[in-house]
Amino acid sequence: MLNAIDKKVLKEVADLEGIPKGAYNIRKNGKLEGREVSANINIETNEKGDGIIIDIKPGTVNESVHIPVILSQAGLHDVVYNTFIIGEGSDVTIVAGCGIHCGGDASEGHSGIHEFHIKAGAKVKYVEKHIAIGEGSGKRILNPTTKVFMEENAQAQMELTQLGGVDEAKRVNEATIGAGSVLLITERVMTEKEQSAESKNEITLAGTDSKTNIVSRSVIKGSSSQDFYVNLTAKARCYGHIECDAIIMDNGINQTIPALRALHPDAELTHEASIGKIANDQLMKLMSLGLDYDQAVNRIIQGFLR
Amino acid sequence: MLQLQNVTFQVPALDTGEQEPPAEQTIINDVSFTFEPGGFYAITGPNGSGKTTLAKLIMGINALTSGKIMFNGTDISSLPINERSNAGIVYGFQHPARFKGTTFRDLLSISLGSDDEEKLVNIISRVGVCSMDFLDKPVDSKLSGGEIKKIELATVIARNPKVAIYDEPDTGIDLWTIGPMVDLLKREQKENNTTTIVVSHNKTFLEAADTLLLIKKGKIAYTGDLAGAMPMLDDLSVCTFDELCQGEDDAQCYR
Repeated sequence: MLNAIDKKVLKEVADLEGIPKGAYNIRKNGKLEGREVSANINIETNEKGDGIIIDIKPGTVNESVHIPVILSQAGLHDVVYNTFIIGEGSDVTIVAGCGIHCGGDASEGHSGIHEFHIKAGAKVKYVEKHIAIGEGSGKRILNPTTKVFMEENAQAQMELTQLGGVDEAKRVNEATIGAGSVLLITERVMTEKEQSAESKNEITLAGTDSKTNIVSRSVIKGSSSQDFYVNLTAKARCYGHIECDAIIMDNGINQTIPALRALHPDAELTHEASIGKIANDQLMKLMSLGLDYDQAVNRIIQGFLR
Repeated sequence: MLQLQNVTFQVPALDTGEQEPPAEQTIINDVSFTFEPGGFYAITGPNGSGKTTLAKLIMGINALTSGKIMFNGTDISSLPINERSNAGIVYGFQHPARFKGTTFRDLLSISLGSDDEEKLVNIISRVGVCSMDFLDKPVDSKLSGGEIKKIELATVIARNPKVAIYDEPDTGIDLWTIGPMVDLLKREQKENNTTTIVVSHNKTFLEAADTLLLIKKGKIAYTGDLAGAMPMLDDLSVCTFDELCQGEDDAQCYR
């Protein structure tokens, strides 16, 4: 049964008011809370019993699958290994995410490894949100890993969001992009207080005419820190772009390290990176429209992390 | 009624290596002027004369060194930008801010104080320079110079200002759009009795103004109609860069 806290967490991580429609798998405190499969989307526990396999039939279109994780048990560090097989020519949305509710002083954490096998011509949107709430003083730790393998002419759009509450996050994203395939990654991270977040990305443009655009938006408040690394390696004629922007507020610190490696003469790789405070001209503009300083800051950050 | 009373603005002087450099450089020097409600004013003058600075002092973007700004009987000299805006003064920037993620819809909603679709559409049709597709465009570096200036104009007009200040509204706008832009500002002036202050070098704006203020070296050198200003403006059309090049013409300058 989902209690009030679980429902609140679900709302935050997956925009769900209750049990979702269509295929889903809800994991709570390391155990299966509920599962539903559909005619085209099968979910089963893997052999080792440490995660699930989500198998989407070729040609499945306009379907979605929700796989939220809820953690509310102090001292629990949950580790899962989930595998997604996205069949040829399918077009689906996957909503994942983990919400921690910390009520005590023991730390709680979740390490989710998500492996995607995106078959030829498939299209997938992956939305992953991480939040942590609760009055407890225990550390909330989230260490997500995504491994993406794309065959030819596939499209993947990944939106990875962590907006506050998480004390420590170590993210790893790895992707190998096949011929004619496109991978779009947008990562949005807001840290505050003493929090720290690290994101390491290893993206390989392996096939001819593969493309990627990696966008990172960071807001670093309080005394928090964020480090963003991306290695973009091109092994074929391809196009890749990295755009990382960090807004520092208060005493936050940031390292942004984009690296481009062209191992093919026809590779085209670009990056832009910026770190700084909120631009003064943006503040002036919003204040000239009647917002006070704090309201203007909030609106700018809201837009930036959208 | 907007009154400038002995408005002065100074900045720390650059160290030019001279033995005793002046401690302050005066950008606006003891300017007094009254903008009447519903008037259309153009502020013009050579580059670096202080036109934009004067406009920014009115908006509160720069703080006065001395003097006073009165608006409808209230001293607004020490009010922050947002409070001047809420009192009815709005500013269109020469180089509008570009954001990441913030859309035209966001800016317009802030300006209108409402995100009601009907109201947004109303303002768009009133401004007449933006299509609906524009609304959800991020106001970022991908917009052309012309597009962002149209957005800037719309956000100013959406606030129904009592005093609208436009700093070089024609920057980045193509020649064919300037006429309609002047018509729009005139219409807003007439229909809403908006006191309109345009900082510009553009003759179309100077011709549209009821009163012209010619600023030279931080002072008002002339106020009146365009005809009266023409002899002085003609004088200004000679080179103003001679201090920089000091008469050397290695580049065969034709100024």
